[in-house]
Amino acid sequence: MIEILETSLFALLALGVLTGGLMILLARRPATHAMGFFIALLSVAGLFALLHQSFLFFAQVLVSVGGVVIVTLIMILTVNLREADLPPEPHQTRWLIGAAVIIAPLSLLLYQTLTTLGDAFPPVSDTFGGTRSLGTLLFHDGVLPFEILSVLLLTAMVGAIIIGKKEQSYDRES
Amino acid sequence: MTVNPDAYFAVATLLFSLGILGVISRRNLLVMYLSIELMLNAVNLILATFSRLHPDEGGTMIALFMIGVIAAEAALFLAVIVQIYRKKHTLDSDAFTELAQGKKL
Repeated sequence: MIEILETSLFALLALGVLTGGLMILLARRPATHAMGFFIALLSVAGLFALLHQSFLFFAQVLVSVGGVVIVTLIMILTVNLREADLPPEPHQTRWLIGAAVIIAPLSLLLYQTLTTLGDAFPPVSDTFGGTRSLGTLLFHDGVLPFEILSVLLLTAMVGAIIIGKKEQSYDRES
Repeated sequence: MTVNPDAYFAVATLLFSLGILGVISRRNLLVMYLSIELMLNAVNLILATFSRLHPDEGGTMIALFMIGVIAAEAALFLAVIVQIYRKKHTLDSDAFTELAQGKKL
């Protein structure tokens, strides 16, 4: 019973990931892109949960789904794109097919490489991927990357504020 | 565990390929940004699967750091898109070739 539930959940989430990706790839309206982005990230979070990565699941839901998608939506809403502002893409289908032909062998290579790594998931303890074990690991092995990441986030925040300022030097010239 | 790792790897590979396709074949800056995000998330999924496959939480830790990097990247990219749109009133990536042509912005 559990197995059937897990398989169907996985199928549903995989379908969500692919639907979101295709919505981003094929749609023309920015609101559809944002919706596809939301579906894809939420499905990836669900796949994390199926992999026993509970902390990663929460981080993905809080940061990616709750933060990045909302910021993207706010950007789309404030910029208020008109149909005329979108680039004309008369040969989109041709480009898509051509790029797909180029990408397909590379994807196949990536998949074949990845699948050589293991055949079945080993059983894990209940605490795997939980806050306690991950926090212990983070404060033993990952202290330096963690601090570097905090500096990077601060820099990105300051940079985004400066770049996004209302008035730039070229505004005054013209 | 009934779903074997190959299925997770297949989903991650497809997501990554969709991201590359979006960057190559579309001219919309917003689609290019979202495609880059999709590729980063595919790598995250691969890392999480590795971590589950060899029960070792190092992969989870790297994926956690990558979520932070994704947030930083999103903030900067969106600020650049807003600024570029304010200047040019288009999302066409071909409109931003001044640096290559040596023209004054």
